[in-house]
Formats: sequence, structure tokens, C-alpha cells
Amino acid sequence: MTRRRLAFTLFGLLIVVFGSLAGNLVAGNEPSLGLDLQGGVSVTQEPVGEYNSESLDLAVERIRERVDSLGVAEPEIIRQGDAIVVNLPGVDNQDEAIKLVQVTGAVLLRPVLLSQMIDTPDSVVDDGSSTTTATPNGDATTSTNVSTTIATAATTLPSSTTTLPGGPSRPATVTSLPTDTTTTPATTAVDAQSTTTTVASTDAPTGTEAPTTDVTLPTDMPDPTDPNATVFVQNADGTEFYQLGPAFATGEVFNNDAQADIISGGWGVRVTLRGGATGADLWNSGAARCFAKDSSCPSGRMAIVLDGVVQSAPSVNQPSFTGGVDITGSFSEGEAKDLARVLKSGALPVRLQVQAVQTVSPTLGSDSLRAAIISGLIGVGLVLLFMLLYYRSLAAIVVAGLLISGVIQWNVISLLSSTNGLALSLAGIAGIIVSIGVTVDSYVVFFEKLKDEVKSGRTLRNSAERGFKSAWRTILAADIVSLLGAFTLWYLTVGSVRGFAFFLGLSTLCDMIVAWFFTRPTMLLLARSNFIARRRVFGVDPSALAPGGAA
Amino acid sequence: MSDTRPANRRGILGRLYHGETSVDFYGRRRYGFLFSGLLVIVTLVSLLTSGLNLGIDFEGGVAWQVPASSTFGTDEARDVVEENGVEVANAKIQTLKSGDVESIRIQVGDQTTEVRSAVQAALAEAAGVDVNDVSVSSVSSSWGRSITEKAVRALVVFLVLVSLYIAWRFEWRMAVAAIAAMLHDVLISVGIYSIFRFEVTPATVVAFLTILGFSLYDTIVVFDKVQDNIERFAATRTGMADITNVSMNQVLMRSLNTSLAAVLPVISLLVLGSGVFGAVALREFAVALLVGLSIGSYSSIFVASPLLAVLKEREPRFKNLRGLHSTGAELEHMVVTGTSSGLKNVRRQVQADEHTAPSANVTPGALLTHPPRPRKKRRR
Repeated sequence: MTRRRLAFTLFGLLIVVFGSLAGNLVAGNEPSLGLDLQGGVSVTQEPVGEYNSESLDLAVERIRERVDSLGVAEPEIIRQGDAIVVNLPGVDNQDEAIKLVQVTGAVLLRPVLLSQMIDTPDSVVDDGSSTTTATPNGDATTSTNVSTTIATAATTLPSSTTTLPGGPSRPATVTSLPTDTTTTPATTAVDAQSTTTTVASTDAPTGTEAPTTDVTLPTDMPDPTDPNATVFVQNADGTEFYQLGPAFATGEVFNNDAQADIISGGWGVRVTLRGGATGADLWNSGAARCFAKDSSCPSGRMAIVLDGVVQSAPSVNQPSFTGGVDITGSFSEGEAKDLARVLKSGALPVRLQVQAVQTVSPTLGSDSLRAAIISGLIGVGLVLLFMLLYYRSLAAIVVAGLLISGVIQWNVISLLSSTNGLALSLAGIAGIIVSIGVTVDSYVVFFEKLKDEVKSGRTLRNSAERGFKSAWRTILAADIVSLLGAFTLWYLTVGSVRGFAFFLGLSTLCDMIVAWFFTRPTMLLLARSNFIARRRVFGVDPSALAPGGAA
Repeated sequence: MSDTRPANRRGILGRLYHGETSVDFYGRRRYGFLFSGLLVIVTLVSLLTSGLNLGIDFEGGVAWQVPASSTFGTDEARDVVEENGVEVANAKIQTLKSGDVESIRIQVGDQTTEVRSAVQAALAEAAGVDVNDVSVSSVSSSWGRSITEKAVRALVVFLVLVSLYIAWRFEWRMAVAAIAAMLHDVLISVGIYSIFRFEVTPATVVAFLTILGFSLYDTIVVFDKVQDNIERFAATRTGMADITNVSMNQVLMRSLNTSLAAVLPVISLLVLGSGVFGAVALREFAVALLVGLSIGSYSSIFVASPLLAVLKEREPRFKNLRGLHSTGAELEHMVVTGTSSGLKNVRRQVQADEHTAPSANVTPGALLTHPPRPRKKRRR
């Protein structure tokens, strides 16, 4: 290997490592601290009973939204298998934290008592119209044709302007015509889905905050998720504000088959009703009331509410439905899919059970952190002192290697902290401290082999090359075992063991990187110079090492 | 200006430094086995009789931690918990000291959310602190079981993978010896927890895993040397006992160095972190690591390697030379030069045969004055 290539490798590594350090510093990335170092509340929940992956995903999203809306700094929301771990640093009220993260993905169906548009930029029809058309038979697949025809019928409805959202449809078979697609009178409704595709508004998606509208609010706002209360809530993008009556049903009236589909030329959602008293009957009793616009549902619209946020509020176009329901309107494809997902989740809401709660007081956390850092640094100092005594000037290379390894780890942890929400926990610090031993060991293995080679009479240059080669084999064999362990543990476990596994893997990789890209070029270059030969680093007479010297 | 004294005139440290020790590890293997056996027996007895003091993370349960004061101690805490209808017979109530702050930790079985909050409020009132100063941890028993199961499953998978890797990279005997030594280390570390009734928390599990990883790492480095020497001595009639001894003496300094480098930060964590700064959370963790890392270094030399030697001696290649090993100056010669003398070997074997009962192991080959030329080794 030429001197130039070695130098190139060495400087390449230094540029990459310190370049990314500078990048991280400029970007202001720094490692975020785990709960055990910072104090806070950690809640672990696991779904129990029957649930589907939609409802679990949705639950995680809802938790994230709620936590974000609370303004917790650096919350950590992690899916570990089916378990959801929420770490809230700096939060000390445990009950609040538990309440915050307990979402179900349960959907409530509530009658709309009043609705009020908030700051509508474009002229969305206030009193939006939607069409409820019905497919007569209970079978979703056969209903397709029917509803298409219905949809056509719907388009003829007066209120079907372009801005109109869809209404649930499945005509009641009161007309006793199973295939009847007669244009049931459509009441108009504004769909809660606005035509924009932006995500939830920044203001209080949970509806606990008073919206900036002229709707007067009662001073004691009921919990928007209470099914038995009359509540005030917004839609997802904060464009409309509703007063909703007590829920007459939950999303469980639907089957777990909601699907976004093109219905009557636009995106809509099609879902079938569960049979019997807890399904179609319940839905129909509500639909009938809304259709009749009686006092419990004066607007004729039915809101689909997830966790205190109106997802859609179509008007009901039929008094009764048999097979399924079509919700049509001015949905974009994404909006229709979102709504379908909400309905799917609502059909089988996930029941999250709090499995573990942990509160760490901030002082306890910061004490541990300070103690760990100070004693860790002193420990490293002792190791370096020992290296200095033992290997004398070669210890400089050990110091540099540890420094580079430390910088690489700092870089990776900082970057992952800001992008993936990785947090440095006590277990992680333990892993790093232990890794110091492993990194130093790589040097010890190498130096000892070098010593052997020198003693058996080889030139220093030759010894360095042979020594590194055999040391590298050893380092690789031992590090692969550590990596195997790290990956297995990371993949198969949860909690702090997983955190430990991550840092073990990271520090092992750093060890290999430093050995190959730093130690190797440095030592091989030094071996060609007089640096080592002039000093008695291996306890061998330097004259023996000088070229031409007696062995 | 240079140290040109022959090896045998240097002091013990000098010889260590130069890798020229001649300790007969193989000959003393029985002491190592005996010592380890005793430790394992003590551990097993302790595990079987008193078991482990598992924290709530594994068994499920609730733990409250309240700042203590002169008017609020463990007895008061017990009364408060009992008043709220929680069974205190099996409750663990202890005083924790962290720096100048003293707090009381009450740990009971699984409770409902209502009871949890009620006790929290009652404790806060009794201790005269804010509710938020009472920290509560709770883990449901099913969750505790499931993380334990996951950890055990991960461990089994890991062991299988590592065994396969070592068997592939080295050979199966080394895998057996390495895994045995690792189990020995972890078992003894667990034993410390059982004997001293330390509470096993997730951090403890992390410590055990660290020990496990370090033990394997250290053993692999030693075995790498053994394998090196097996190749180096392949041309001579050298028994596994000698190869083991030579390897051990050659890596002795590395092992001591590495152990020191790994243990120094841990000692610092123990003495400074928990002693001076009073971070109790670190203490048991550091104790487990300290014991585990020391045991790990010990076992790679005194358990794993002799075990490997015993296993290897069953191979036909080393069978004839079973148990024969040189000591003293001869061993030193081998350690320093990395070569052996066939003549000496045979002489020793003959002597050995004279001392012991007539052995059927003496083959005509062993009586040759020089060893047969070994088969040329294929280049790897």
C-alpha cells in the first residue's frame, strides 16, 4: 500500500468525521436525553382484544397529534411491535400524561345541531349539500352498481354543487324496491372535509381550545369525547365548527371494510353496515332522525367524529339504509382514503391498555446524568493514563482513536436525535462507557502483535503491516460477535435493552471504523517514519529496529 | 541503555511486559475448574433457595417514591398505603439515599389506576409534599411477563447465532468452550444479585448483557491466539496443553490490559458516580458490571481455554500427547520463540511414561528421535 493511499485514507476519514461534526454543530443538532436522564413520564400501552392495524396506526397518529398540541419538548413516541411507548420528558403529572395518550381510534356518530364555517376562504356552501343514496341490498359487492346509479341520481340533486361533500347513502328499502335507486330527497350538508389537503390545523385539534369564531361557547366546555354530552368541536382542518348532540352510535355499526372508491365520478367512501341491533338498526334509527330533521338532529347532518374531531359531516339523504353506506362529496383521493381509514379504525377500535407507567423526577435524572458523565470522563482519563504509562508515546494514537470514535458517536446520536427521535438513555451511556474498553482493546491487540513481530526480528515497517493484518482478523472476529448480539437484541426486545443494543452496535461499528480507517493508516505511516524507531515504545532496543541493526 | 537482560533475569513485571511469562495454566486447570465450580454451586444454591429479587418491570406492580422527612418514614408510609386498602404484607418498603435527598420507595403488586392515584395523593399529603413530587411507576404483570419472554427469546436466538458463527469462524469446540465460559460468567453475575438481594431492573439486564458480550469478546480474542498457535505448532509434535499454555502466556498481558481498560471506567462509575455523587441508580449497575467484567476476564483464561484444551485433546491429532506439557524454562522458551523442540517432547513423554503406569498411548511415532515431517499445509 502506497504512502499516498494511506495518507488519503487518513485525511479522508478526518474530513468526513470532522466535517459532519461541523455540520451537526451548525445545524444545532445535539443528542437528546432520554427520560431517565431528564425526568418525565413514560407510558407504555398495548392493544388488547381485537383490533386491526389501521386502528393501531391511527391511534399512534392521534397520540402524536395530541402530544404535539400540548407542546411537550422532544416527545418520543415509539412503536415497539404492537406496543406504543410514549415518553414525555419534562412532564410531571402522571395522570395528565395517561389521559393524553389514551386514544382508541373509536369513532362516534353524532347529530349536528349547529354548524358554523370558520373563515372560509373560498365560497364553500355554508349549508352544504350532500346526497345520501342507498343501495338496497346488504351485500357490498352487489351494491356497487346500484350505488353508481344512485350517485348519478344524486348529481341531479339541486345541492350538488362542485364544492359539495358527499353524504352517506344506502336508500332505505322502505320503498320496498331492493334495487330502487330512486332519487331520495337529498338534504344538503357541508362535508367536514375541506377541499384542502393540509394536515390538521395547528390550533387545538382536540377541541379543548375555543375556536376563533363568533359562536358563543358555554363556559364549562364538556369533554369533546364524551359520547353523552352535547359538545363543541371542529373539523380536522379547523374550517368548520360544530355543536354536536349526544352520539347515537359508534363507528362499530360499520363493518371493517370501509374503502375509498370512485363513486359517481368522484372519490367517496363505501362501507357496509353490520347487521342486527348493534349495526344497521342503530345506524338507521339515527339516520331516520336526521333525515326527518327532528329536534335531535335539526341540520339533517350526521358527523363522523374521531377523538373529538369531526372527520366528515355528511347530510343524510335517506331515512333508512340496508346494505351499506356511500359517502360522497368533494373529496380528494387522499381525503377519501383518510376517511376510509378512520371508518375502518372505528369499526374495530383498538383498546389500548396502559401496561407500564414510569415517572422519573427531573432531579433524580439530572443527578444520574451528571454522575455518569463526570465519572465516565474520569474513567476514560484513568484508562488513558494507564495507556500512557504502558505504551508511552504510542498512547497518543489511542487518545486520537478514542477521540475520533467519540466524535463519530456524537455525530450519529445527534443526527438521529433530531431526525428519528432517538434519545440517549442511561443504558446507552453504559453501553458507551463499556465500549471504551473494547476500543482500547483493539489497540492493545494490535500493539501486542506489533511487539511480537518486532521481537521476532522484523523491521518496524514490516511488523506494522503484519501486525495489523493479524490484529484486524482478531478485531473483526470479536466485533462480529458483538454486532450479532446487538442486532439480535435490538430486533427482538423492547425498552431499555433495545436502547442498549443500539448503542452497543454503534460503538462496535465505530471501533471497526477507527481501526481500519484511522489506526491502520496512522500506524503504517508512522512505522515508515522515525517516530517509533527513535523511541523505546516496545521495550525493545531501538537500535535493533533501525534498518540494518542487529536483531 | 536498553534492557538486554535475558528473560529469566527480568522481574515478574518485566516478563509480563515482554510477554515472557511461563505460567503453567494448563497444569493448574483443576484449580480454576474447582474455583468456578464452587462459585457456580453457590450461585445455584442461592438461586434455588432465595431466587431473584425481581423489580416491578418483570413481575408487574406499582411503586411509589416519596421524599422522606423526619416525620415521614417507612412506618408512616406503610400505614398510608394500608389505609388505602392495599395489601402491605408483601410490600417492599425501603429507604433510598441519593446524595442528600432521602426518599422512601414502596413497592406492591398490580393495582388499579384509581388506587394508584389515591395512594399517590395520600402519600403526598402525609409527607407534606406536592402530589407531583410523589413519583409513581406501574407495570402490568402481563407486560412484565411479555418483556421477560422477549428478552429470553432474544438471548436464545443470540446464543444460537453466536455458536454458529464461532463454529464457522473457528470450530465447534471453541464455540462450546466460549459459550460455557460465557454462561459461567453470567450465572455468577446473576448469583451476586441473588446473594445480595439486589433488585433486578431493566438496567440490570443491560448489565448482564454487557457482561455476556464482553465475556464472548474476550474469549474470542484469546481463542484467536490459540488458533494462531495451533497453526504455528502444526509442524511440530506439540500437545494441546503446550499450545494452550503458550497462548495464555502470550495473551496474558493483553488480557490484563483490556480488563483494566474495561474495568477502570466502571470502577470510576462505582466509586465516583454512586459513592461521591450519590447516584444510587448507578451503584448496582456498576457492581454488576465490575463483577461481570472481572469474571469475564478470569474465565477466558482459567475456564474457556483449559476447557478448550481438554476438548481438543480428544482429537486424534492431539490424543497421544494428552496431558503432557512442559513447564518452567521449556515453556518459557516456547512462549518467547514460538517454536518447540521435538527432542524435548519425546524425552518428556518417555519420562512421563516411566513415572506413570505403562501407558498404551506411547506410539512408535512418539519414540522417534525426530518428528515426522508434517503434511504441507494448504495456503488459506
